[in-house]
Amino acid sequence: MKAIYQVTRDEWRFWHRTKLAATILVIGTLLAIVSAVVNTIEMEHTAHEREHLQRTSETQFLEQPDRHPHRMVHYGHYIFRTPSPLSMIEPGVDSFTGTSIFLEGHRQNSAMFSDQRQASGMTRFSSLTPSFLLQVLVPLFIILIGYASVTREKEAGTLHIIITQGTNLWHLLLGKYLALVSSGFLMLLPLVIASIWATFTGESLLVTSSFVTGYILYILVWSGIVLTVSALSNKNSASFTALIGLWIVFCILIPRIGSSSAAAIAPSLGKLEADFAVLEEVRKLGDGHKAADPAFEQLKKNLFTKYNVDKVEDLPINFRGAVAQYSEEKLTKVLNKFAEQRMQEELYQAQIARQFGWLTPTTAIRSFSMIIAGTSLETHHRFLREAEILRFDFVQSLNKVHQDTLNYQADINRHKDNKAARVNAENWQVLSLFSFKPDTATTRLSRGIIYGFQLILWAVLVCFCLRFAVRRIR
Amino acid sequence: MPLFSNITREANFLTKQRYILALFSIVFLLSVFAIWSGISETRFQLSTIERLQEKDTIDRESVLAKQKDYGSAAYYSFHLTYSAPSAIAFAAMGQRDIYPWKHRIRMLAIEGQIYETDADNPELSFLGRFDFAFLISVLLPLFVILLLHDLRSAEREAGRYDLLITTARKRQRLWLSRAIVLCSALAIVLLIPFIVGALITQAPLASVGLVMLVVIAHLLFWMLLTFGFTTSKISAKQSSAKIASMLLAIWLVVTVLIPVSSDFVIDKMVESPNGGEIVLTQREAVNDAWDLPFNATWNEFLSTHPQWEDKTEIGDSFEWKWYYAFQQVGDQKAEELSKAYRTATLAKNTLAERFALMSPPMLTQRLMSSIAETDTNAAIRYELKIREYHKALRQFYYPLMFNETEFTLETLSGLPKFPNKKI
Repeated sequence: MKAIYQVTRDEWRFWHRTKLAATILVIGTLLAIVSAVVNTIEMEHTAHEREHLQRTSETQFLEQPDRHPHRMVHYGHYIFRTPSPLSMIEPGVDSFTGTSIFLEGHRQNSAMFSDQRQASGMTRFSSLTPSFLLQVLVPLFIILIGYASVTREKEAGTLHIIITQGTNLWHLLLGKYLALVSSGFLMLLPLVIASIWATFTGESLLVTSSFVTGYILYILVWSGIVLTVSALSNKNSASFTALIGLWIVFCILIPRIGSSSAAAIAPSLGKLEADFAVLEEVRKLGDGHKAADPAFEQLKKNLFTKYNVDKVEDLPINFRGAVAQYSEEKLTKVLNKFAEQRMQEELYQAQIARQFGWLTPTTAIRSFSMIIAGTSLETHHRFLREAEILRFDFVQSLNKVHQDTLNYQADINRHKDNKAARVNAENWQVLSLFSFKPDTATTRLSRGIIYGFQLILWAVLVCFCLRFAVRRIR
Repeated sequence: MPLFSNITREANFLTKQRYILALFSIVFLLSVFAIWSGISETRFQLSTIERLQEKDTIDRESVLAKQKDYGSAAYYSFHLTYSAPSAIAFAAMGQRDIYPWKHRIRMLAIEGQIYETDADNPELSFLGRFDFAFLISVLLPLFVILLLHDLRSAEREAGRYDLLITTARKRQRLWLSRAIVLCSALAIVLLIPFIVGALITQAPLASVGLVMLVVIAHLLFWMLLTFGFTTSKISAKQSSAKIASMLLAIWLVVTVLIPVSSDFVIDKMVESPNGGEIVLTQREAVNDAWDLPFNATWNEFLSTHPQWEDKTEIGDSFEWKWYYAFQQVGDQKAEELSKAYRTATLAKNTLAERFALMSPPMLTQRLMSSIAETDTNAAIRYELKIREYHKALRQFYYPLMFNETEFTLETLSGLPKFPNKKI
């Protein structure tokens, strides 16, 4: 053990002496700190802003004057998604999805106004989020620090001296490995601190610790790759070129090829085109605004038998409200069927892209990190589903008020006497308050476990490669 | 011609180096993949538009056939608008995955409809696509650095340096001819797939030429930078890997740090109204109108459409002309915000254009997507076109509703069509 520490200490001393490695280490750590601080502040700000907007939107709805209940169905309601605590490190799909939805009767709107649409377009390749830094740039820094760790000794001829002096080759390599890993951990430190912070602001410890573990594995993998290549090469320059080549392939190319392939393998129709099919089915249901539509004959007959009357006017309830309720339910079933189908398609595409994690550790950590942080596609979909539940709930409650409280005669004559066809504003209390909570820790972990497994596999693979390299040197 | 003979000699050397040949074949394959995925994406978009056009016509005709008045005809019928990818869009897909390129609109308030997006899968957008513009703007510098960083130091490390220097007539020329050979070979492997792609999609010669010019200019920039750096005094005694590390640092600054920090600065410089506000304003206006006296709507409406002043009387039952009038008023009330929003988007884009001058990779990407008409400007142009078309729809329907023209399907065959030309 002592020999290993000795090697590690020597390696650090060497970096200290040669300015290049030290500079890279300082720059990397500084970048990590800056990005963690900037993103934390930004995230807290958005979280407060969205919560505030959510409350404003709710009060606005509740403060509406006496009205026809159907007016409130169309007046609608806004909901906002508050970001999860870990999104300060891993914003994931958040900036691409739009974070507010307008809820109204008869329609399922998509999330509008994504950040990227309002951005300058400069951050399409890179963003200074801690996740981009750690997933893409830190491997590059580790390469720059460590490409020569073994080749240097070979070029100077000191490797044979060390070995003949009786140092175990494994001890030598492990010492160098430890040095590389510790430099990587130094750049990881801001993320660890941010995760601890997230734990205090309400994220479960299980989540944050597995999040950090994922990144630790990732650094172990890259340090291993760097050391293996350096041990297998004979010259500094050869090791360097090979590593930069690997970095381009692993960190930049394969993730993008993954997403392009997913789009090509499973092209999705797009909402607009899918909507034709939706419209076609919806038209069969009849328009809920027109109680006379033949589509509601059956409903009318059922109500007549139930209340033992033979005229709409004699019904104890408002028939127009009954129709609104009935048609909204049918309509929502159709809309949900198609929305679900579309989400499955999107998820399928994303899962194809995530399979590229078997080909590069970067995609593996990216999927893992997004899922654990609760900023993946699945969480966005859950937001859409919860929004839909809220929408259906308040629309149907208003329709029920329409059916039970508003007089049918007044309703029929609403264009002549607009004032009589209103209900008391107290009825707007049907709106339930919305607050979006991230998925539970166990859900996220069980979803992310396969990508954690990808990372572990990479770590094992790297161990084998190192063993192979040791044999080659001997 | 000593330079020429130098070049032929270096080209001969080149074909004998396995490592460099391997690098070139990888670059070639990447370029082929980028072009292939670009073409398949544009083909997919074009065929989508074709299918949409067909479905849209059938859908509208069947809907219109069931209507009995112009108001419901306008209410129930949707109209397809789209922006087809240009013939050269395969090289730079630009912002087309964020901004919508297809919309179906109807005669309701436009502000409530135009921000709906039919965007791509957000997780795929987040991972980023691999197109030719990405290859050229982000990866090309890395290839140049890999090829040229050890021009001198490799020879020194191999122990041939002094021999080469004493036999060469002009030292600089020796390195220059080597750099020229390597970079021309790189240009060829990058551009051949692009040219083939352009032939397949029959892209106009001018834009193909412009894209090639941008590619060569960007390549030239990195060649000169790398060449200047490797042959400068600073790197005279450095090892190849150290030179490359410094060049990579430059790459990192111009491709990552400058864009990211300019994005931050631009965001602080331009005040943009929140998009949600536009929709909210429009919603309040339209919903309040139901409960307001008719006159409130008519006053606002007539201020922009005085020609209908004598036709605003309303009977006891619901009338469509009043309904569309308050839709129009909703748009009018949100107009200022909506304009400010667009102005802010354009202002950010203009600033980004300026900041991109500090970052050759960003500049390259922006130039390519502007040639391919896939940039933010093109997206805004499409949005304005939709607004124009929406206006045409209103101009078509208003006289029919206010004059209470008798409803015939024939009249509806005169509905304005979205300009079919490519944008």
